[in-house]
Amino acid sequence: MNRAVFAVVATIVVAGLAVLPLLGAPYWTTFVFSILIAYVLAQSWDWVAGEMGYINLGHYVFYGIGAYAFAIALSSALMPSVPLAMVIAVLVVAIVAAVLALPLFRLRGDYFAFGTLALLPLAEVLTNNNTWLTGGADGIVLPVAHVLQAAFWLALILAVASFAVTLVINRAPFGFALRSIRNDEEVAEVIGLPLLPTKIKALVLSSLFAGMAGAIQAWQMSYIDAVTVFGLNVALVPIAMALLGGSGLRWGPFIGVVLLAGIQQWLLVNITMLQATVYGAIILLIGRYMPGGILRAGILRGLPWLAPLTREHGAFVADTAIDQVVSSSAVMSAEMPLDRIAPRGTETPLLVCRDVAKAFGGNRALAGVSFNVAQGEIVGLVGQNGSGKTTLFNCISKVHSLSGGEIRFSGRDLSGLRRDQMAGLGVGRTYQIPRPFGDLTVAENVALSLMFGPQREIPARALTEARSFLAYAELDHRRDVRADALSLQEKKLLEFARALATRPKLLLVDEIASGLTPVEVRRFVDRIRAVRDDYGITVIWVEHIASALNAAADRIIVLEQGQLIADGPPAVVFRDQRVLASYLGAAEVVE
Amino acid sequence: MSIDVVLQVLVGGILVGGLYALVAFGLSLIYGVVRILNFAHGTILAVTGVAASLIFARWQLSPVLIFILLVPSVFLLGAVFYRGLLHPLERRSPLEATIGTVLVTVGALLILSDVTAVLAGPTQRNIMLRSPVIEVGNIVISVTQLAILAAIVVMTLVIHAILKATWFGLAVRAVTQEPIAAELCGARSLQVKTLTFGVGSATVAIAAVLYVLTFPVDPYMGFGLTVKAFTIIVVGGIGNLPGALIVGVLLGVAEGLVGLFWGPEWSPAISVILLLLILVAFPAGIRWRRG
Repeated sequence: MNRAVFAVVATIVVAGLAVLPLLGAPYWTTFVFSILIAYVLAQSWDWVAGEMGYINLGHYVFYGIGAYAFAIALSSALMPSVPLAMVIAVLVVAIVAAVLALPLFRLRGDYFAFGTLALLPLAEVLTNNNTWLTGGADGIVLPVAHVLQAAFWLALILAVASFAVTLVINRAPFGFALRSIRNDEEVAEVIGLPLLPTKIKALVLSSLFAGMAGAIQAWQMSYIDAVTVFGLNVALVPIAMALLGGSGLRWGPFIGVVLLAGIQQWLLVNITMLQATVYGAIILLIGRYMPGGILRAGILRGLPWLAPLTREHGAFVADTAIDQVVSSSAVMSAEMPLDRIAPRGTETPLLVCRDVAKAFGGNRALAGVSFNVAQGEIVGLVGQNGSGKTTLFNCISKVHSLSGGEIRFSGRDLSGLRRDQMAGLGVGRTYQIPRPFGDLTVAENVALSLMFGPQREIPARALTEARSFLAYAELDHRRDVRADALSLQEKKLLEFARALATRPKLLLVDEIASGLTPVEVRRFVDRIRAVRDDYGITVIWVEHIASALNAAADRIIVLEQGQLIADGPPAVVFRDQRVLASYLGAAEVVE
Repeated sequence: MSIDVVLQVLVGGILVGGLYALVAFGLSLIYGVVRILNFAHGTILAVTGVAASLIFARWQLSPVLIFILLVPSVFLLGAVFYRGLLHPLERRSPLEATIGTVLVTVGALLILSDVTAVLAGPTQRNIMLRSPVIEVGNIVISVTQLAILAAIVVMTLVIHAILKATWFGLAVRAVTQEPIAAELCGARSLQVKTLTFGVGSATVAIAAVLYVLTFPVDPYMGFGLTVKAFTIIVVGGIGNLPGALIVGVLLGVAEGLVGLFWGPEWSPAISVILLLLILVAFPAGIRWRRG
């Protein structure tokens, strides 16, 4: 949209707010101050929730820690200096967030929500009991400073910074990383995203803003105690605000904060009892009737003049970045921007599996499988359902860790490596049941591999290059569609394109051609051969279509109940009596 | 400090731990079947406990009558709460459903505590029964406490029997393991889920009546209790009754000992710290071998 208009309006609003403390209206100044603080909390919370999909109900703990660290530093005898106390508050919050991230991110979904919520009562108990540090239940009283003006300006700066960070995150690879985590963590890791560091960064960033808000609030109030910064009633309000507006929407937290703060102020004046009940009812009703937020409600979506407010972050990125893409590279060929992998000596195989074993409880899915794959080979992997083919893929891509044996890739032992490191080494894979990042576009799905890959491409460039991979998979015409709107076959092609975009040396293809018509299967066989012939990529292909493997593969490996029963050229293996009996269910060779 | 004091604390710890375990059964049952973490779960104990003590103070009803009065009411309220407010969220996208259930149950938690505090006052209260005392050496155990202990054991056995031997129990286990297949086999999931939510809530009501006979309750104690129940099911395993009982008793005893040696104000921190430590030590959760 007209960005200039937005910039002008935003400047006027911010400038208008900046002069508010000078107008001699302390009531309004205090009210807007509280809104600014609430906005910082709601928006910073939404980086973890709306973007990354982790509902951190203990966000307020970091606000409280910031407030306490500031107050303790300021009231200490050492050197009472406000800027120094702010810095100390920020450092303390960052350290606490990073340390807490380790246990907390072991949890997923509502377990994570629960674990983080449990931090609030813990913080309250610790604060009340460590009287020597925090003053216990009496709280900390700072010298009254009358700093409403200065605190207001700081809060305004912080609020503007929160919005700016939101915009930056949306365009940066970091934002894409968060959204991929929200969609499917395992796949994000398999295509090369280091999971835990990304999550820790997100939590620390979000906590820093909450901590600064707490420090500013403590400075302005010159008094804090445990209940005002760790109480359940206050702690959930900013979260309710973000959700009321619409979590994950660019304007969601802002709209929610303004609405709910207005309602709260009205209640404060007009209702003396049961305030917690009214908050509770508001939270409950938001959850029951619009868990997606007001801005996602159907009525508002229909209003054209509200469109800029209701759009998703994803849409925002797509419509700017893709525009540049179209202008910069109008001509699209079916060539992928991959370097041809140089052939290497045959004496060191690319992949070595030795006695690979994997057990799930008492079920031995793989029981001592040994084979080598040379660079530049196309190996067909066949076997009945349940014979261990997908388990083997999962072991090679480190989705599972081994129960025994050893896998070496490029001469390197894989034990102890993480999934994202496998992607970095050059192992790409597709999933038998496609797992696209559902609420991202097709182009973004492929671009993620390029952003997380060894070249760490910037989003605009990654989105441009993604089109080449999509064109190669014959999916370019669907590039702007949300991935969850694709048909099953299209999703499989997307898996293929996304795996190629990780720039693999070894590509693991899992039943991608099943369900295709014979003509399509033949085209796909050509594709697989071209991946090897043109780019030097080694391929292991799991498929049930014997004719396809016969045409594509140099070698066939057969698994039966977790054991390798044949390994050789297609012409030999497909005539082997044992293979035929096991796999094709026939006792004789059928010509 | 004499050994008798420690033993006395152990008795109290076992008692309160058994009640924690009952609360945790309810949470675990509901989570297993409905896949919802009810943030207001412990608050049911607070509210029911306050209600029980009010009824007792007003009409001097016998605890057994109070039990008969309150447990079915809480069952109904739980079922209605699920049907009216939580079940409709299942139709939404997974993220919206998660956010929705968190908000609805947290909202319910705030409302329940606040309304109870306004109606009954935010003070601590319990039911004081005059009951004879048994002395074992220097340890004093009241008959009421013995009765509570017996009730905990009986309730555990009853729940175990229900899960093992009845249609409802079979349906619960089936839905816990494979909801769609269970439905295909004729266990209507909505029915099973509504029943489960009611039964899970009623379990807490049972614990509440027992709790208020020896320990004080107040309207705001609920969430701390939910945290304890959550810790117990994370450590003991979802749907693992013996595990929950053992962990519950250990938690109760640990709280008692920490209170004794370090100060009672530290007891509430035990469960959260334990939870965080366990999450660091056992990333995948603790796996209990099925015997």
